[in-house]
Order: sequence, then C-alpha cells, then structure tokens
Amino acid sequence: MLNTPLTRLLGLALAAALALMAGVASLAFGATTVAPASLVQAFLAPDPGSVAHLILLTERLPRAVIAAVVGASLAVAGALMQTLTRNALAAPSVLGINAGAMCFVVVASSLFALRSPLALVWMAFLGALTASLLVALLGRERGGGLSPVRVVLGGVAVTALFVSLAQGLLIIDQEGFESLLLWLAGSVAGRGLEGLKPLLPFLVAAAAACVLLVRQLNLLILDDELVKGLGQHTGRIRLLAGAAVIVLAGCSVALAGMIGFVGLIVPHMVRALFGRDHRWVLPGCALLGAGLLLAADTLARFLMPPQEVPVGVMTALLGTPFFLHLARRRSLAP
Amino acid sequence: MSRAVILRAVGGRLSLRLERRTLTATLLLALVLAASALASLSLGSQATAPGEVLEALIHPERSEIALVVREIRLPRIVLAILVGACLGVAGLLLQGLVRNPLASPDVIGITGGASLAAVCFLALGGAALGEAWLPLAALAGALAVALLILALTGRNVTPARLVLIGIGVAAALGAGTTLVLVLSTDTTAMRAYVWLTGSLYAAQWGEVAGLAPWALLGLPLAMTLSRRLDVLALGDEMAIGLGTAVRGTRFALLLLAVALAGASVAYAGGLSFIGLLAPHIARRLVARGHAGLVPATAIIGALIVLHADLLGRVAFLPRDLPAGIFVAGIGAPFFIFLLYRWRR
Amino acid sequence: MPFLRSCHRLVALMLLSGCLANTLHAGTPRQVEHALGKEPIEGEPRRIVTLYQGATDSALALGLEPVGVVESWLERPMYRYLRDALPAQVRYLGLETQPDLEAVASLAPELIVGARYRHADIYPLLSRIAPTVIAETAYDFKALLELLGEATGREAEARALLAAWHARVADFRCRAAARLGEAWPQRVSVVSFRGDHVRLYYDGFARRVLDQLGFLRPEGQQGSHWGIKLVSRESLPAMDADAIFVFMRDDAAVSELHRRWTSHPLWQRLEAVERGRVYRGDPILWSMGAGILAANRLLDELYAHYGLHDETREGEFTSC
Repeated sequence: MLNTPLTRLLGLALAAALALMAGVASLAFGATTVAPASLVQAFLAPDPGSVAHLILLTERLPRAVIAAVVGASLAVAGALMQTLTRNALAAPSVLGINAGAMCFVVVASSLFALRSPLALVWMAFLGALTASLLVALLGRERGGGLSPVRVVLGGVAVTALFVSLAQGLLIIDQEGFESLLLWLAGSVAGRGLEGLKPLLPFLVAAAAACVLLVRQLNLLILDDELVKGLGQHTGRIRLLAGAAVIVLAGCSVALAGMIGFVGLIVPHMVRALFGRDHRWVLPGCALLGAGLLLAADTLARFLMPPQEVPVGVMTALLGTPFFLHLARRRSLAP
Repeated sequence: MSRAVILRAVGGRLSLRLERRTLTATLLLALVLAASALASLSLGSQATAPGEVLEALIHPERSEIALVVREIRLPRIVLAILVGACLGVAGLLLQGLVRNPLASPDVIGITGGASLAAVCFLALGGAALGEAWLPLAALAGALAVALLILALTGRNVTPARLVLIGIGVAAALGAGTTLVLVLSTDTTAMRAYVWLTGSLYAAQWGEVAGLAPWALLGLPLAMTLSRRLDVLALGDEMAIGLGTAVRGTRFALLLLAVALAGASVAYAGGLSFIGLLAPHIARRLVARGHAGLVPATAIIGALIVLHADLLGRVAFLPRDLPAGIFVAGIGAPFFIFLLYRWRR
Repeated sequence: MPFLRSCHRLVALMLLSGCLANTLHAGTPRQVEHALGKEPIEGEPRRIVTLYQGATDSALALGLEPVGVVESWLERPMYRYLRDALPAQVRYLGLETQPDLEAVASLAPELIVGARYRHADIYPLLSRIAPTVIAETAYDFKALLELLGEATGREAEARALLAAWHARVADFRCRAAARLGEAWPQRVSVVSFRGDHVRLYYDGFARRVLDQLGFLRPEGQQGSHWGIKLVSRESLPAMDADAIFVFMRDDAAVSELHRRWTSHPLWQRLEAVERGRVYRGDPILWSMGAGILAANRLLDELYAHYGLHDETREGEFTSC
C-alpha cells in the first residue's frame, strides 16, 4: 500500500505508464505487423501512401481511444458503485446496468428501427437508469440500507430479465440476431471515432461530476450516523454519483456492448494500492481501467487469428477467477 | 378448533402438518391447473372443441384430431407441467437453503452450466450423435457446475458464499457460451439461442419419459425434506441446537435442487425466472412452512410454464414462439411488482 | 423466366422415360432413403409441405405446388424470387426454427420435406403426420433435388433439371475459360457485410456453386469451416483474391459499415478492387435460397458479371 502523497503520485505515474504501454501495444500489434519505426513516423510525419500508417491512424488509433475511454468509464463507474452500495461485488455488469442498457438498445433498434447513434445512446442511458432503479429497489433492506447479497442477487435477477427480453426479440429476427451478436458479446473493434463524438459531452460531464464530488464521496464510506453527526447530507452526493454511474455505463454499452468485470476488478486493484481515498482511487481506476481493456483487446487479436475473440468474453474469462477470489473472502465491504 | 390438518404416513414416521388455508389454496391451484391443462389441450392453431378433444383422448381411433391432441399438444402440456414444477421447487429449495428469496437455479449458475454444455454440444457437431443426447449433455453440464461450485465454496457452505460463487461461475459460463455462439454458424447459433431462451416446442413422449423419473422422485423427496428447510430457516445456530446436521442437510438439498433444475433445463432449455417467481407467489398464497410451500410452488411453476407456452403457441400464429420469451416477459415485471409490494 | 422455359423444354424431352418409370412405381411403395432413415412413399405425393427455404425452392423447380411453406427470414413472408410461383392459397407455417406442427397436420400433407440441421428433433413427429424426407445439409441443392424427385415420383424432372444445370455449368466454364484465358480459373472470395461485422465464407451454398463452376478458393480459405467473421478493417487483406463477390441486405447499418470498409485504403489496395473485379450479388440468392432455382439465378448473375453470352438461356445446349 502506498501511504504518502509522494509514493501515491509515483503510483499514479506508474499506472499512467502502464496504460500508455498497453496503448502502444494495442497500436503496434494486430493482423498486420507494423515496424516500431513507422509507429513513431505515423504520428510525426503521416504518409497517406503507407499502408502501415493508414492502419495505425484509421483503424488502431480510434480503436485504442475507444478501448481506453470504455475501460476508464467502466472502472470509474465500478468504483462509484462499490462506494454507493458499500458492496465489494458491485459493478455495472454484475448489477444488471449493462444488461438494461443493452436491452433498451436492442428494443429500440429491432422494434422501432432506431439507428441513429444519439438515439441509441439515450436508449442506453434509459436502460441503465431503469436497471439501477430496479436494483436499488430490490436491494433495499427493511431498515433502508442496501444489503450486499440482496443487491447482487437483485442485479442478477435484473440481468436475467433484460437478457431474456432481448433474446426474445432476437429469436424472431435471425438477421438482426446475426448483426448484434458481436456487439452483445462486447467489442471495441471496427468502431470509428465518429461514434464517440456524440458521447463526449456526457463523458465530460460525468468526469466533471467525479472531480467535484471526490471529497464528498469519501464521506459515503463512513458510517451513516457519523455523517449525519458531521452535518452532511449524503442524498445529493448519492444522486450525482448515481447519475455519473448511469452515464458512464450507458456510454460504455453504447460504444462497445456488454463488457463485464472491468468495473469489478480494477477498483479492487486500485484500492489495494492506494487505499480508499477517492482522490487517488478515481484517477487510478481511470488509468488502470483503460490499460486493462487495451491489454485485453490486444490479447483478443491473437487467440484465434485472423478472427478476434470479442473483448467482452476476454474480460469475463480473465475476471472470473478474481471475482471468485473476492467471493471466497469473508468480508464484502469495499 | 384446529386450523391445521395433520397427514401421517409410513406408520407415523412421516407426518406433515398443513394449515387449512394451505390445503384450500393448494386444492384451488390444482383445480386451476387442471382447467388450464384442458383449455390448453383445446387451444392451438387448429381450433378444436373440448368435446372433440375428450373424444380424441378417450377414443383416439374414432377421432380425426387424435394425432394433434395426443402427440402434439398433450406431451407438450405434460412436459410444461413437469418442467414448471421441477424448476419452481428447485428455486424454493435454493431459497430456503440460502435463506434469501432471490436465489434460483439460473442465478447460481446451474442453468449456465447446462447452457454451455448444450451450446457446445450443438456447435461441435453433436447433432451427428443424435439430438437425443442433448438433454444428457445439458444435465451433465448442470451437475458438473454444481460440483465445481461446491468445490469452490469449500468446507463452509455458507449461503452468501454459495450464491456469490455461483454468480461468478455463471458469468464465466455465460462468456463461454457467448464465445461458442459467436464462432458457430448462423443456423447453429440460432438453434442454440432458441435453446438458451427455453422452449417446449415439439415436445414428445420420449422427453416426457426422460424427465418424469426426476420429477416423480424429486418432488416427493422435496416434500419429505421440507421440515428440514423449516429448521434451516431458523438460522444455523438454532438448527444445530435442534439437532440438525446443517452441512449434510445443505448438501442434500443442494443436490436435489440441482437434479430438479438440471433435468428440467435439459429437456426445456434455459428457462429462467420460474425458480424465482413460483416460490414468491406460493408464499403469498399459503401459510408459512415448507410442507405447504412445496406443492403450491410446484403447481404455480407448472401454471406459469403452461401458460407461457400456450401464449407462445397461439398468440402469434402461425409463429410458434419459445415459451422462455413469455416467462421472462410476463414473469419479470410481475416479480418486480411483488418485490415492490413486499417492501411496503 | 427464359431459363425455366428451356428447362421445361428439356423436361418434356425426358418425360417419356419418366412416365414409364412412374407407372412402374404405382402400387408398391418406394423406399426413399434420406438423412434420418428410409421412408416408404406410395404413388406421387402432391400435397407437399416444405419446412425450409431450399426445399420450397426445389419443390417449385419440380413444378410442384407446396400446400404449406415456412416464412422466409428476409422479404417476409416469402422471397420475391419464389413468391410468384407459389399458389395463392399456400399456408404459411411460421418460422423455420419452429414451424407450426398442428397446421402441418391440418393440411393433411402427403409429403413433408425438412432438413437435418433444423428438423432432426421433430422428425419423429413429422413422420407420424405424413411421410417425411430429411435433407442432409443445407448446401447440397443437387442431392436435395434428387431426394425430392425420388420422393414425389418426379425423378425424370429432377434428372432433367440437373442435366440442364450441368450443361449450363459446362457452358459457363468453357466460356469463362475462353474469355479469361490465362486468368482462368480465378480464385474468388465470397464476402457478406453485416450490421457489425463482415463475413468471409469458406463454405456454404454460394461457395459450393462456385466450386462446381470451377472457381478456386484462395489459400487460407480452404477448411471445411463455414468461414470467419471479421471486425477490424485491418483484416481486409484476408479477403483478397482475383475477384470478390459481395452480398449484403438493404439496411442502414449495413450500408454504413459497407461504406466504412470500402472507403478504407486497404480495400482500395485489394487486387480484386484494383482490377475492378468486385461483383455485387443478391443476398437472397447467395445465402438464403439454397435450391436449384437460386443456383440458376446465381449463375445468371455470374454470366452477367463476366459479360458472357448465355446461350443456354435460349435452350441451346451447345458447348462453346
């Protein structure tokens, strides 16, 4: 554990370096080999005639940017959720938020033929919001607090609900099913930066909310009674943080489909390093989340070439042992 | 005045105490189920009068619709009832075991294990072996996953751990299923997808015969174990105090739940929600105590699947849609409504 | 349909032998062997139910009028190329995955045609409703035609259709060889754009037709696997060949993906693209039809793509 501001700063720098390395790897490796020299050249002096430069600038760079944005969003959303629910196993994928967004997008595109990216983003938000409200409703204990196991079970029930609804719609539409299968599996491949553009305002707003809330979030870790004693009202903080979670998770689903476990694993790794102070946890999550998804996406290109394993499958397979490790431990507090 | 009825069997060694209210509710439910089954037998893409249907049942040689009634509708209805009953009771057992009303076979990965096995079977050319092996593959998958979950849980089968590990395993299995789906051909993927949704389409007597032993053994066994569930509900310490071998009981209950759920998923595909929904409705209808809950849950589960399948058969003619769509589509909102009411 | 006319002319020629064979069959049931067993069939069944698209296609080709068919996946309820030939009162039986069995039974069919990959598990029920034949694969339209001909007592017609097909194949090969010279046989790729990925087919109905016509598969596209799904434009070189056949359905998301991929410089650098040898095909014919009619229409497209004179259309079977 890093205890002093200096070591923590160094830790963040290290996380940034790791993310950068993963980013470079994501640019450097793929179906076509790109020489390290042209990697540098492509950015300093792009040559429109060079295949390597084209691949780098038009294909791998947008993909890496999207992977980084999605990874960072999911990890931060996971950290916020774990704080909000005081549950170590909370994450957008575990609590059905991804599934809610996915289901609404499937309904919009297959029932109402909505195709414009912005409309789908709003549907994803709406789905994420619906799912989180449901989970909050199902997870509430008689006393009013959220029970960890109830929240997780509620999340699984909500996931089952939305996944089966989406399944039902796709069964009568083989073509739609074929077209959505990869997105359902979670994939950052083949997405252009133009898909990211309409989401930027939302992501910036969510990031701003995180920056503004960072001190207040630390209050949420404390005992409710204690907070009340300090004269603080956590209601507004919770509401804003909840909104940030929905925006971050909704954007991720709209961009890359169902990617699980990044939001679960990364906050735990970061807390193991930086402790529970959100001033360090949130930036750490953003950096390591981006790095992890970039690395998983790079790895996914090599398991079955020339085909790619959907990155959502990769993160789930990588994340499960970690989840099991957490579940086997006694305490479920973050 | 006694409000309870006590049933005794096997020389008094087996006795069940049932409240009047429970008995009435169960009888009413059974009546509704019988009426639903008859209605379902008369409904289909070809309208048939109940009289003709009875004629076809009693004198098949004289009826023109004997084939439709006896070979197409009846096995499907019987299978729906068996599947619903088994899944409902499996959910009830798990919920009692975990002491949490939100547990169910699909939540803790049993359905996931069956699904991955079935999808692999379909994608890796299992059809060459014959479709008859599909249920066995699925059942094997369910059992393997249950063992894996038990192994991971370790010696202390605490409810929370069991659930959380089940959820983790379910997530990995889901990812594996997705991967196989993505890699397989369209027709295989579609076939697998229909299976994952859960469908009773074209159920035949062979399948009914395959599931029947599990149901006929498992459901009565659940009845006999119901008192132990009541004791477990009091909490571990109390249960131990009352002389129950908590670990052994948990293990037996878990095994029974897995067998019931695995067998029904094997024959009907990945139907979800029944294990969650049926016990909840049952709890609202009958008095506390698992002896009354087991039959009520079984009948309610059967009712849900029967009606979902009926909807799938007749609501969108000429399309025959998988029952799983309707179980989730109607069951899920209802479930959420129930939970909401429960909060008040 | 000029091609059908020519087929019918040939059919008329071969009917003599056919009639003879049919009269011999009457009375004793024939044992028709299919993917899931043997089915005794008597006489010439005319009330036919087809449970997948290739079977509907083949039945129409044999001049049979199905009484019940399953819905198509595109151009619902039935592909346009088959719609006109279907009788107006044909009954639609729902989706190919779960056809309405009661409706099948109520049609009192004399023959049911299904495919192993879809109907293996309902075969026992189907065969109790009526004699049922099951095709082994979805791709082999010739075997399906023979099976259907045998089951309906139209072996002669089936043989005639196949003979016409083989004559067209020979004609196409010969003309393509003459036109392309050294460049024949071509290595070709079959590519389909979807909403979120691109498919490169190694096998399938279209690929099998192309095989028969003498087209080659590029290295790396050999295997018996159906093909692969590509998600990154970086994989564009995997589809390079002498010529590329592209098909996709009419949909906003698909067109957008197609635009993104074909505007990429790597696409422009593909050999087939540089030489202007990218041909658009009808998505129904290339992946959904899977019968002799679809195969012939696919061949019509190829004659047009390669600018070859299709004399077989006029019914003259001159090999060039």
